[in-house]
Amino acid sequence: MTKIEEIKATAKKLLEEGKVKYIIGYEQGTNGWLSNPVFIKKPEDVERFVWDPSCVHNLAKFLVDEKRRKSREKQPDKRPVGVIVKGCDSRAVIVLLQEKFINREDVFLLGVSCEQGGVVDDKKLAKKLGKKNAKKIELGDKDNLIITTEEGKLEFPTTELLAERCLECKANVPLIFDVLVGDKTQRPQDKPFKSLEEIEKLSPEERWNFWREQIEKCVRCYACRSACPMCYCDECVVDSINLAVAPDTSAEEKALKIRWLDKSTEKSENFVYHLVRAIHLAGRCIDCGECERVCPLDIPLRLLNKKLEKEAKLLYDYEVGCDVNQPSLVSSFKDTDPEDFIR
Amino acid sequence: MDKILAKKDFPQWLKKLVGSHTVYAPLPEGDIWNYKVVSDSADVNLDFLTTTVPPKGIIFPQREVFLEFQTSSGEKDETIEVKEVLPEDRPVAVFGVRPCDGKSFFLQDKVFGGDFEDPYYWKRRNLTTLVGLACSTPPSPNCFCTSVGGSPHSKEGLDILLTDLGDHYFVESLTPKGDKLIGEAKTLFPQAKPKDKKEAAGIHAEAAKKLSRQIKNLDKVPDKLKGMFDSPFWDEEAMSCLRCGICTYLCPTCHCFDLNDEVASSSPLKGKRVRTWDTCQFPDYSMHSSGHNPRPNKASRLRQRMYHKFRYFVDIHKNYQCTGCGRCVSLCPVGIDIIKVLEKVRDYGS
Repeated sequence: MTKIEEIKATAKKLLEEGKVKYIIGYEQGTNGWLSNPVFIKKPEDVERFVWDPSCVHNLAKFLVDEKRRKSREKQPDKRPVGVIVKGCDSRAVIVLLQEKFINREDVFLLGVSCEQGGVVDDKKLAKKLGKKNAKKIELGDKDNLIITTEEGKLEFPTTELLAERCLECKANVPLIFDVLVGDKTQRPQDKPFKSLEEIEKLSPEERWNFWREQIEKCVRCYACRSACPMCYCDECVVDSINLAVAPDTSAEEKALKIRWLDKSTEKSENFVYHLVRAIHLAGRCIDCGECERVCPLDIPLRLLNKKLEKEAKLLYDYEVGCDVNQPSLVSSFKDTDPEDFIR
Repeated sequence: MDKILAKKDFPQWLKKLVGSHTVYAPLPEGDIWNYKVVSDSADVNLDFLTTTVPPKGIIFPQREVFLEFQTSSGEKDETIEVKEVLPEDRPVAVFGVRPCDGKSFFLQDKVFGGDFEDPYYWKRRNLTTLVGLACSTPPSPNCFCTSVGGSPHSKEGLDILLTDLGDHYFVESLTPKGDKLIGEAKTLFPQAKPKDKKEAAGIHAEAAKKLSRQIKNLDKVPDKLKGMFDSPFWDEEAMSCLRCGICTYLCPTCHCFDLNDEVASSSPLKGKRVRTWDTCQFPDYSMHSSGHNPRPNKASRLRQRMYHKFRYFVDIHKNYQCTGCGRCVSLCPVGIDIIKVLEKVRDYGS
């Protein structure tokens, strides 16, 4: 059975047996090659599922929505939600479990191994295609990707089109799952923090100029926050008002809401937003790269988070999203901590 | 009278203008295109794809200061000084405005004009000359201008329309502002010959056929929406929505804004009153001070976006508030496709 057939068969069985409420997966999109997230409730609809290197989204994000939706229902359906997870997405689920944001029994994980593949980087693809538009992307059997365009098929080596994070990925097999589709082969890995090499060579001043230029472009659509499965706070410092306002919140309380940053897309305000987000993701970001992918202005946000991942590894030997029982980085202390001020 | 402009003379026209005007043109920025201020006319190449950010920000900036305030305390009392801040007087020329984006200004004029004229918008609008470029091929795979009453050579909102005829442009001046901009470099613009006019007409006729996306019978949508306000349809359609602001911030016709006093110092009080873009897709957009939110979830916000564009705006201004530029389709992180949503609305219940 091919992977997609196995996914469909497993999903169908789960839905027929009523073991899950619905299953979050991918379907063919209408905007070119990219797949879309889809929520399948009926066994006969599993035919809509697709599995190919366009399945970029981290579907763990939708578990945050599900938790909120459930909390509002008077008599919630207590069955778990099925989610298709790649290796990276499974690590996002691990962090959500580790932080006790979700419970294990609330999710049924259909793990899919990326094996020799991964997901396609839209910018790399656009460069290869020029003005041609891709309709479909498939993984070939010779470590290549087959791109269908309106002018016929094109082939490229996998390494030329995969997202950087896939090339650097150390766990392209889900680390947590209820069912695993595909086998546990690991694709050859680039150096783990290779994408940081260039920026690390820059002097602090050059780095500052680089980031200033990037952050100035931001229009604060907050797509990076919206796509991030770790950005699940009920209230975010960047929102202009306190979303936790209730009818009995006093005028004083409302007036005293601290405004950490203004709505103006000034350099200072944009920096506050991005730095707050980066810091809040230290030891939590599992490098799904969604923030960078969704950014309409192409701000290389992944570099910020990757750098903090590297710091966590070097300073505290902390690997993100590998073990549900591991205490989280910012809420734990080890005797081997390199800082001595705390002792 | 229609003119022509040799492509080799185009940089000279810009060169004439940069001294007296702030000149914008689409420039590549890494892998994307955006309107930038041009200082060197040699950089400008009008063979560009749909810009990520529409040109709306040139006339309706994402942030603009309305006034500045400051208190000063005298011996007995405190006085507050308020200073109005208006856009600067320098004229602006924008090159490479696609007909869809040109039409967006025609639609924005209705919003910022009418009974309550917005002086900030109009000061910029009147100082800005929009030089359009007809599309001979769609600049985005998600272009659908012809479905919403536009066309790849629409003149609405523009001051000049250029049509690419290979080594020269066919130049149509549409307003006195357009005449004036051409007048700045008169000698570069010989009269167009009947052959040029015919050739441009041919390109215009062909261009519309090249659009791969369209919505048929969109005119059924405004009425259909009437009965769909409480439909579970919106919950289904918005399931994958992430609640970001891409579809609205980067829409050339979305115009909602917020006003805030941004305080730099509280004692002595000093700060600015600032207008910024706002979007119906954010939770704080419609939240009341009581905590009640009439658009409490993403389904109601997606519905708001559709109703505003294809019902409320149609009622008030007799136009769809959409130009078919395709940005919201191309840029949505989860592939929510306005064309597909509208088709489903059109066919809803039938």
